[in-house]
Amino acid sequence: MTMKPESEKYNKVLNILRNSNPILKSTKDIEKEVIKRISMSKQPGCNLTDVIDFLFGWVYIGWVRRSLVTASVFLVLVFVWQQGVMLKQINFLSRQIIVTGGETVNSPARQVEKLLMRYKSSGRSFPSQSITISEKQMKELLDSVNDLKIKYKDLMNLIEEDPELKKYIENKLIENNRSKIKL
Amino acid sequence: MIDKKLIEECRGGNFNNFRKLVEVTSPIAFSVAFRMLGDDDQAKDVVQETMITIWQKLNKIKSAEGYKSWMYRIVINKCYDELRKRRRYPEFVPDEKTWALISNSFSDGPSSDLENSETAQIISLLTQKLSPKQKAVFILSEIEEMSNDEISEITGMSKSGIKANLHYARKNLSEMIEKYL
Repeated sequence: MTMKPESEKYNKVLNILRNSNPILKSTKDIEKEVIKRISMSKQPGCNLTDVIDFLFGWVYIGWVRRSLVTASVFLVLVFVWQQGVMLKQINFLSRQIIVTGGETVNSPARQVEKLLMRYKSSGRSFPSQSITISEKQMKELLDSVNDLKIKYKDLMNLIEEDPELKKYIENKLIENNRSKIKL
Repeated sequence: MIDKKLIEECRGGNFNNFRKLVEVTSPIAFSVAFRMLGDDDQAKDVVQETMITIWQKLNKIKSAEGYKSWMYRIVINKCYDELRKRRRYPEFVPDEKTWALISNSFSDGPSSDLENSETAQIISLLTQKLSPKQKAVFILSEIEEMSNDEISEITGMSKSGIKANLHYARKNLSEMIEKYL
């Protein structure tokens, strides 16, 4: 059987390549370098490459490994963002919820105002247990009362210090037939 | 031939025996890496990286029997990475000196042993148009003379994929040989 000249050339090239086994002249250098790098990596301390190798070391294809790393970083970021949003929402809601007679009401400031109006208009006979407000709103209410007390005290001091003003106010009150304020 | 006992000892974390394993394994890994890359320095880098990966993951292989194909797989994958990096390199065009060197190699007869640099020139010239997969299949099948089963285990390709890649590699190489030699 005669071979085509093309195949002969091909086989000749193959034979040459098979027979000329590449020789690694610096095995010792490679050995030294490998041992050095392994010894360095054995030292304590955990870097990002180690973590990535630990998690994705089973993937040998470069682009698959990179894609997996990118996807995991993205998922972690999404998870963190989602947790942040949820936490924010929970905090927001915990500040907001008001329950009135079994009815859940949002928008606290206005509702509290309305409830206070109802309280006033109903002859101050608001039944107990019928209003629930959040801790924060209660704190705001107490702060507001304290603030009012301080302002009232300041005003009284101001009037006490100025006899003319005191007299003027007393006269005004008498004029208006209002109940006297005992200064 | 790699001693299975040596591999088992290294799997147990014996650092001193790993030196011996590097000494035995490096030339085998270098041979494939060099034929894949056609570059001495890059092949050495691949061998180094391979040895480090072997040390890090040696205890993960099921048995010493699978060591050789596992090592080849690491080398081939590292070569893929290298080839991917240089995908945009300009086409290799040999100069007159290189041509003379290649021609001499062929006129000397089929059994002539070549220097690394000469082998590199021939490989670079003939395999420059092959894809990394075709190159890997060609080297493992035609030069390292492995079976399709072994190649499939190393590259993760199906047997039909191996045959197809080998067919295109042979065709391409024949064209290159016809064109240049």
